[in-house]
Amino acid sequence: MLAFLPEVVLLATALVIFLLDVVGERRLEVLGGIAVAGLLASLALVLADLGFAPLAALRTLPAADVDLIPATSALFAFTSLGLAFEAIFLTAALLVALASLSRPSGEKGAAVFFGLLLIATLGMTTAAIAADLIFLLLAVEVVGISTYLLVGYPRRDPRGLEAAMKFYIVGALSTALSFFGASLLFGAYGSTNLVILSQATGSVGYPALALAGYALLIAGLGFKLTIVPFHAWAVDVYDGAPTDVSAFLAGGSKKVGLVAFFLLFIGPVSLIVVRPVACVGGVCPTAFDFAPTLQLALGILAVLTMTVGNVLALLQREMKRMLAYSSISQAGYMLLGIAVGTAPALAGATFQVLAHVFMKSGAFLVVAGVAGLGVGPLIEDWRGLGQRRPVLATAFALMLLSLAGIPLTVGFLSKFVLFSAAVNAQGYFVWLAVAGVLNSALSVFYYARVLKVMYVDPSPAEIPAPPALPFGGIGYGRAAAIALVVIAIVALGVDPQPVLGPLQSAANHFVLTGP
Amino acid sequence: MFPIISLTLATLLVGTLLTFVAGARARWVALATSIVFLFEASAMLLGFTGLPQFGSGGTGFAESESYAWIHLGWLTINYSVGLDGISLVLVLLTAFLQLATVIYSWEESRRPGAWFGLVLLTCLGCLGVFVALDILLFFLFWEAVLVPMFFLIAYWGGPRRRYAAMKFFVYTHVASVVMLVALFAMAFYSGAASFDFPDLYAATHGLAATTQVFLALALFFGFGVKFPIVPFHTWLPDAHVEAPTGGSVLLAGLLLKLGGYGLIRWVVELLPQGISLIAPLLFVIAMVSIVWGSVLSLSQRDLKRMVAYSSINHMGIVLLAIAVHSPVGLMAAVLLMFAHGIVSGLLFMVSGSVHHTYGTRDIPSVGGITSRTPMLATMIMVGSLASLGLPALISFPAEFTALLATWDRLAYWVVVPLVILVVTAAFYLWMMQRLLFGPAKGGPEVVHDLPWYEGAGMAILVALTVLYGILPALLVNVIVQSPVSGPFP
Repeated sequence: MLAFLPEVVLLATALVIFLLDVVGERRLEVLGGIAVAGLLASLALVLADLGFAPLAALRTLPAADVDLIPATSALFAFTSLGLAFEAIFLTAALLVALASLSRPSGEKGAAVFFGLLLIATLGMTTAAIAADLIFLLLAVEVVGISTYLLVGYPRRDPRGLEAAMKFYIVGALSTALSFFGASLLFGAYGSTNLVILSQATGSVGYPALALAGYALLIAGLGFKLTIVPFHAWAVDVYDGAPTDVSAFLAGGSKKVGLVAFFLLFIGPVSLIVVRPVACVGGVCPTAFDFAPTLQLALGILAVLTMTVGNVLALLQREMKRMLAYSSISQAGYMLLGIAVGTAPALAGATFQVLAHVFMKSGAFLVVAGVAGLGVGPLIEDWRGLGQRRPVLATAFALMLLSLAGIPLTVGFLSKFVLFSAAVNAQGYFVWLAVAGVLNSALSVFYYARVLKVMYVDPSPAEIPAPPALPFGGIGYGRAAAIALVVIAIVALGVDPQPVLGPLQSAANHFVLTGP
Repeated sequence: MFPIISLTLATLLVGTLLTFVAGARARWVALATSIVFLFEASAMLLGFTGLPQFGSGGTGFAESESYAWIHLGWLTINYSVGLDGISLVLVLLTAFLQLATVIYSWEESRRPGAWFGLVLLTCLGCLGVFVALDILLFFLFWEAVLVPMFFLIAYWGGPRRRYAAMKFFVYTHVASVVMLVALFAMAFYSGAASFDFPDLYAATHGLAATTQVFLALALFFGFGVKFPIVPFHTWLPDAHVEAPTGGSVLLAGLLLKLGGYGLIRWVVELLPQGISLIAPLLFVIAMVSIVWGSVLSLSQRDLKRMVAYSSINHMGIVLLAIAVHSPVGLMAAVLLMFAHGIVSGLLFMVSGSVHHTYGTRDIPSVGGITSRTPMLATMIMVGSLASLGLPALISFPAEFTALLATWDRLAYWVVVPLVILVVTAAFYLWMMQRLLFGPAKGGPEVVHDLPWYEGAGMAILVALTVLYGILPALLVNVIVQSPVSGPFP
């Protein structure tokens, strides 16, 4: 089981952290340092498995075992796209862990925070390699339970507790819907294997039952991915949670919903787009094939999600709520990739996820840092930050420009690739691309408003003194995380090929071999 | 081959970054960058000896460079740049206007580092648009122009600057994203081998006529808003009136040219059938823009607003000449864009200086400028006469050939722009009469003539107006070195 080494490392690190807590070692720097080291080790192992040449010595998963068509009894399958998602998730967790090293050192619960962060990441990486629906839903549940706790970990904060409670109730509902959907699918097809499911849409069993199952799964997993109309919880939770946790939720853990969508829907959707219609077990597709319906539904949900997210983001006065709504709209762009369902669109959506990890986690990490400087929650409170903290403001501006899709940032290129993939698929997907670009144009306003507040509006009269942390109150860890984000945004915005090329070949394999 | 284009882009990029961090010395860095840029543009001009053969292995562009950028199988994007006569002339315009703007705003005291940095960044974006030969690079620079211009208006602008900056951004950004989808569709529906212009050129001519029409309409919307065409022109007067003088110069001189250039490069050259079929629509819009721009211009009291509306009129003539879709028409369109860039730049500088000197731009409340500030009066005179199309100044050959080309295609309809030209001329003369002559009125008791830097900035443009007015062949011989605008029949 050497292939599971990245997951094993995560689990072992989490256990070490909990054990240290028990024996009385509760210093934030120590526990956080261990978490960062564990995440780095795990990331290195995953990158090695992906064939990243400088780390070839660490490779534990032979190349021959990747991208095989999984057996119908398989619980998991190592696809290069799944491994790429593992790397993306680990990057998100790493950024958050790194920045959290700069949390106030007197704060309690460091072990809970870092331990749960690792467990949640473990759930995410496991979901990425699932080949069975129940296995997938269990992995998603691991993420769910650990993130409910993460949101509420500062036990004295009533806002955090309220957010955790909301998150828990909505999460439980979504889990129930997902499992109910899974049971209907099992009833229709007699299996929960994703390969069987993906090739069976309407061809065998009870299609109407299966369609209902998929609808329930869209709803259940749509809660995780904050798809409109299942998005309402996200804003309150991101707003109420400790901001570093919000960075993880918005930048990292909600993408587990996207992975689940990939595994569940790309099969059926790409069936009609790319794959020749396959006969499974001697049964060939019959007249009622609901894959086109599913695809159209996903397309409509994508447009709805991005539009509602953007319009509501326009109306927000608080920074965190604005970022939360922007995060909802970004989920719409990712969903668009699934609706289109071709290999180019998959690569584009995955690249968009990676871009969003940097942009959104980065933005929330900056917000957390700025809150530590005594700046209030309203967007107006950021007045004049451009003059007071030019470097920090420039970094934040860059993240916002990237979210808005302004050139020379990774956010521009990820949308460029995603929308061109939609046009490339032709048909009504061109109109999805039009909806996407118009939304992207709309989103510029709320980002530009923040830029205006930071750079054009004058500073408030009273400026609170920053806390005694290095880098003017930001701290080494947070400064390093923000610097990493900035470098990634610019480097990938100028030359995406080193990442996009492998993602494209991973997506090509994924569409051919399935989960 | 020596990568002169990339070198120029790199020069401007480095210059811009240095300017941003140079603080009080920013203007010197900006000036040095502008001078180097002008040398590089001149080098391009001197090294420009015509075009290699289009097709059959040749890219059809001089100094072309192409490096692999994003290769995904279904998506092939190279970093590709190159020059033909059309882009070269507009690169020259960029270099001239950048230098003039930097000198004109020499004493900018509000955050000079940011001011000069943003001015350079705007010019960098425009330069990039003019030399880019692939969709990604083109769109990247196209969008990159918006951000610095937004800040130039929003921070240094007049009292309603935030509204104006936002409006500018909304209009042009929405248009450009629509344009992007159309560019994608053009590449994918034609099955072009890559996003490079030569590959598109080889593929798009085979598109069905209806597809070409749809694409041409979408692209025309995208480029037309920048033009600006009626009815998408309303951002322009707001942006101009609120923008600082330097911003207005770049806005009128360069940004409006992006639309015309884009239309020629990405629609006329790639979708010839599409543009022929929508030509009637273009004629109507062009005529309406000419008439409406002129009518609005006539009714203004504010000097700057008047110049802004006259831009709509002039760009309408550009659109008319493009829609004619003949070699002469396209040559005239490019020449007119160059001319309008120089002349409108000069006129915006003039109205800025009138405002600095007399404290108002209200035409009826200022008079006797000639006797009080003769230098400024001279500049107003040259700018206005050039704008109304006096022979021996730059606009004349451009407008003359534009109308000649229109006559070839539309015959007596050419009367519309001709009459409008006469009316505009009369209005300019009346404006000059009120502002320049008569008894001194308006402004402070003691007025000082132009400071040296404002004078020098305008002098550059005046010199160009006269030089190219007398010797338009210097430009025409370059412009016709293009697959579409030449050679002369």
